[in-house]
Parts: sequence; C-alpha cells; structure tokens
Amino acid sequence: MKMFAMIVAIMFSSGTLFTGMPIAQIESFGAKVAQEDWKREFDNICSKTQDAMEFSAGELRNLIARCDALKPRIERLDEPQRKVTLKRLQMCRDLYVYLLEAKENQ
Amino acid sequence: MKAVAGWIAGFCSILAFVGAANGRDIPKPPEYGKVIIGNFSNRAGLAAVRFDHWLHRAFYTCRLCHVDIGFAMEANATKIDAETNIKGFYCGSCHNGIRVQGDRKIFASCSLSRTKEEDTRCSRCHSVGKNVRKEYNYTSFTEKLPKENLGNLIDWQEAESRELIRPVDFLPGISIARLPLDVQKDFRIKSKGWMPNVTFSHKEHALWNGCELCHPDIFASVKKGTVKYSMFQISGGQYCGLCHDRVAFPLYECQKCHTNPMSR
Repeated sequence: MKMFAMIVAIMFSSGTLFTGMPIAQIESFGAKVAQEDWKREFDNICSKTQDAMEFSAGELRNLIARCDALKPRIERLDEPQRKVTLKRLQMCRDLYVYLLEAKENQ
Repeated sequence: MKAVAGWIAGFCSILAFVGAANGRDIPKPPEYGKVIIGNFSNRAGLAAVRFDHWLHRAFYTCRLCHVDIGFAMEANATKIDAETNIKGFYCGSCHNGIRVQGDRKIFASCSLSRTKEEDTRCSRCHSVGKNVRKEYNYTSFTEKLPKENLGNLIDWQEAESRELIRPVDFLPGISIARLPLDVQKDFRIKSKGWMPNVTFSHKEHALWNGCELCHPDIFASVKKGTVKYSMFQISGGQYCGLCHDRVAFPLYECQKCHTNPMSR
C-alpha cells in the first residue's frame, strides 16, 4: 500500500499521473480535442447549405439552433480564426433563416 | 425577333456611350473588376494592393473566395493585414508559398521582414503607383478566351463551358466538403414597359456563387413578386448590380439578361 502511494506521489510530482503523459501535454491534447470538436460541428452545419432548400422547416430550425449554440464557442477562438469563422457561420445561419422564411412565405 | 434584339443591343450601346459622356467611368478591359485594397498598406510603408478579378476568377469560383475564405463583397471591408495572411487566412489561404495553381507554386504573401527579396515579392500585389512586371499579362492571358463586348471583354461562362478555364471550387484545409448543388429551375422576372423579361438562370449563378453568397445579403427573403427591382437601384450597386457592372458583365449588355420577349 505504501509502495502504491509512493508511486502515485512520484507520478503526480513528475506531472505524469495515470496516463504516463506530462500534465501539460494532457492539457494541450484536451485543447486540441476541443478545437477539433468545434471544427467538426462547424463543418457539419455548413456542409448542408447546398441542399438546404430541400429541408423541412423543422430541419432548418434545428440547423439555426445549432448555429446559435456553436457561436459562443467560435467567439472564444483566437483571431483571425474567430473573425473568419464567425463570418462563415453567420452566412450559413442567414441562409437557413432565409430558406425558412421563404418556406413560410410560400 | 432579330430586329427587336438588334434594336435593344443598339439602345444599350447608346446607353453605354451616354454613360461615358456623362462622366461615368467605363474602365478599360484589364481594369474592369480591379479592386484597390489599402487598409494598412501605407502604415506598413507599402503601396496599396491592386487585385485583379479577371485573373483570380479564371482560377477560382466566386464562392471559394467570398464564402469559404471569407472575403467581403465590398472593397476594403475585409481589413486584411500581413499577419492574418501569414497565419493562412484571406490572401494567405493560397498565397503561402506552398499551394499550387496548375503547375505553378503560388507565391507567399508578404512576411514581416523587409529584405530586398521580400520587397520584390510584396510588390507583386502592393503595386499601385508602381511599374511592376506582372507574372500574368492581361493580353496574353485572355488571348484565347472567347470574347464579349464589354467589361473584361471575356465571355467567362463560354470559357468555362469550353474548358478553357476550370475554376477551382474546393480548397483543401479551408473548404467544407459539400454535396453537389441540386440547382433550382430558371425563372422569369417580368420587366416593366417595353423591355423583354429577364430569364434568371439559377444554374449559371449558383454553380459559381453557391447559395449563401446571394441569399439573404443581396436578395432577402420576400414573397414572390412583392419586390420590384428597378434599374436605378441595380445601377446604384444593389441587387444584380452588386456584381454586374463591377466584376460580372456590365449592365449595358441588356440583352444578356433581358432575353425573354415572349408572353408577358
């Protein structure tokens, strides 16, 4: 038991607890995963602009809600990624709103 | 029918001359679509950038630059600076010294250092007021492309359909993979008075522009037929006039849009 506690203490003090990776690396890995996460969601939302005119009102509302949910995460990015991606996201959102309004105007 | 078309073409030519006579600037073909970009150039001790649409549109679709890369549709609204380009955004999306166009490596945008070699490279774009020898010359570049009457004197659509140009619509690392566009049918816009109706081709517009370039910023959602687009608004740069008369073929080529004199 004492031995185990000692090993944990050594790993903790050397910053390699549990994973064998330094804690700084774990943090940067986490940041990378978070980065890829917003990118994946952004790509997924905005990849549908070409065929969105076939979507139902419900599907368009869902896409608009996903744009709104993603926006605060994009706002936390560093410049110029933030500025460029926000504009692109806004263009996708605006198109979905446009198509929704067009459906309602029909 | 031919007589009507001829009469309209004649009328439009007169309009072009009247425009010129009234001091409205009709640019020379290589100047048509030229954009001067200079938000930060002076501060950096550089000349402003001369951006030629005729060159870039031969290689890339409008959508690629104005949607995927995020360039604004208005000159100097994007506020491009060297640091942004170096990080791989805006001009730096392609101008990074790595990306290739055809068999040529695309030269890198300006770096923050100012060696003589750097200055020469910077001058390729920061060329306003300078006598810079360009890699692509308008006359030789456009020599074999099909011609039209005004603007750049190039029929870009015909050039693409004959595969003389192949505008790229996907930039790895920047563009998002999308399904091919399922293009909507063409529709007719009724003209007021004596002009033939407009046949609007969704296909011709959407393949280069995508959907989000025009909707809703240029054409907002409205009930069909409730908004009247006047030529005054269009020639003032609204609606169709945001591209036509600036980069796409000019408004004086009436018969290219007003093509449908049939049943009103």
